[in-house]
Amino acid sequence: MRRIVLVDDHELFRAGVRGELGDAVEIVGEAGSVADAVPLILEADPEVVLLDVHLPDGGGEAVIAGVAPDRPGVKFLALSVSDAAEDVIGVIRAGARGYVTKTISRDELVDAIERVAEGDAVFSPRLAGFVLDAFRAGEPVGGDAELETLTAREREVLQLIARGYRYKEIAARLHLSVKTVEAHVSSVLRKLQLSSRHELTRWAHERRLI
Amino acid sequence: MSALLFERSRQDRVLAGVCGGLAARLGVDATLVRLVFALLALAGGAGIVAYLALWVFAEGRRTWAAALLLALAVAMLLIALGLSRTAALGATLLVVGLIVILLRGGSIRPGGSVPMLGVALASAGAVIFLGRNTAPGHLVGPGAVLGALVLVIGPWIWQLTTERTERIRLEERAEVAARIHDSVLQTLALVQRHAGEPARVAAVARRQERELRRWLYGSGVGAAASLGDALADAAADVEELHGVRIELAAAGDTPLDDSLGQLVLAAREAMTNAAKFSGADEISVYSEEDGDAVSVFVRDRGRGFERSAVAVDRRGIAESIEGRMTRAGGTATITSVPGDGTEVELRLPRKKAS
Repeated sequence: MRRIVLVDDHELFRAGVRGELGDAVEIVGEAGSVADAVPLILEADPEVVLLDVHLPDGGGEAVIAGVAPDRPGVKFLALSVSDAAEDVIGVIRAGARGYVTKTISRDELVDAIERVAEGDAVFSPRLAGFVLDAFRAGEPVGGDAELETLTAREREVLQLIARGYRYKEIAARLHLSVKTVEAHVSSVLRKLQLSSRHELTRWAHERRLI
Repeated sequence: MSALLFERSRQDRVLAGVCGGLAARLGVDATLVRLVFALLALAGGAGIVAYLALWVFAEGRRTWAAALLLALAVAMLLIALGLSRTAALGATLLVVGLIVILLRGGSIRPGGSVPMLGVALASAGAVIFLGRNTAPGHLVGPGAVLGALVLVIGPWIWQLTTERTERIRLEERAEVAARIHDSVLQTLALVQRHAGEPARVAAVARRQERELRRWLYGSGVGAAASLGDALADAAADVEELHGVRIELAAAGDTPLDDSLGQLVLAAREAMTNAAKFSGADEISVYSEEDGDAVSVFVRDRGRGFERSAVAVDRRGIAESIEGRMTRAGGTATITSVPGDGTEVELRLPRKKAS
């Protein structure tokens, strides 16, 4: 069973997630602010932190920044209602391994936690759409060309995620193993985090999709 | 007035920190300010006096001493620039007079008192300057008229714009309040009334969420203006009618036009079919705009169907989806595997923007 910490400033929402996840995971701590979350995570050393993008005293990014240097093993899964591209891109670039919306079903959330704990990346369909859009905009500007563009395969995988396919279905469709699909998504995550292209940030600011 | 105040910088200082403070106040680079003062210092020492003036001003707020020093600096600069002493005196008086008007009362708004001392200084300065400098008459006349116009109309425009900003702010507030009342509060009331029917509550809440989101981040209320908004509207309708969940994703968005409107109708029909016949409780909709074409994918993980097994008289697929797409100049591809769900791909080539 995965040991997780829940960080969200809405008590009601935390209670909902707690009830929903039930005994699928072990919740070892909860916090409602950056100030509370950082020491708690350092102390509890969970496998996965479910992290709200918006907190009263800073964003999820601040929590990641406070924890990551001392506990590099802790994985972050961002959970948000916002869907504003700048939030998504911001928290991913800060180091979150995935991004899902708060409307996600229980089974999918449990699956996402598992996946992130394993070191894989989790993209919601919406995030996959964002990323495709972001990497399409404009030509790469300098930097490491490998980091600035998506491969045809990565594009294909992302498109299928956006269309609502699960990893297993994508694997079957593209005649790949699930591991390979996961590797493609992790590679896209790495590009998202490391890409120097300033378009990404500018794009995210300009575009606040539904 | 507060806009004119500045403090000597404690960190960024070479002499007394005047340039650093001024730079911070103006939001420019301190080196630039220092350069200007250095150049002015070359102009007969005007820069040095101006520096002293600002120092005095920043130190004790001794406005009068500072103004006097500043006037001296202006005069030195003008003389250094080659003006005769009298012309320099006139111009200086003019500038000082205007500064006094600005500092005292600082108001050119209606009802604001105009400091007579400032007016007197400025007028005297103007007379000396114009008289000595033999400014061409054809410039002085229109100039005076223009100046008078500015003095008369300026305050009026000022008042109008401040009032306008205030009014716009109030209107926006009222709009937000009305909006929240019409949508969120109504939805909350509805949720309370139907608390016993989870499916209905969920549908109402999702619809509200979508509306609010679009109002906050999208193209606003009213008829959808973009493909993304129109698909979101269609999805919300289908969700509400059939009690399914529709997950929307998009790469790019594009303004709505007639043929895209047809595309949205076809997509809506595909969503309705999935909701009614597939048995799946979640439908995924993804739209993509790739320059050459707009594609929309509607997918469910339901029971799927054999095309041949579908009654010919079911007009949904043939007419509402395929026929509609063909007429709009696009294509519809339906992939369905019994037991494994259905995906409808709608594709509409885009005319190159001329």
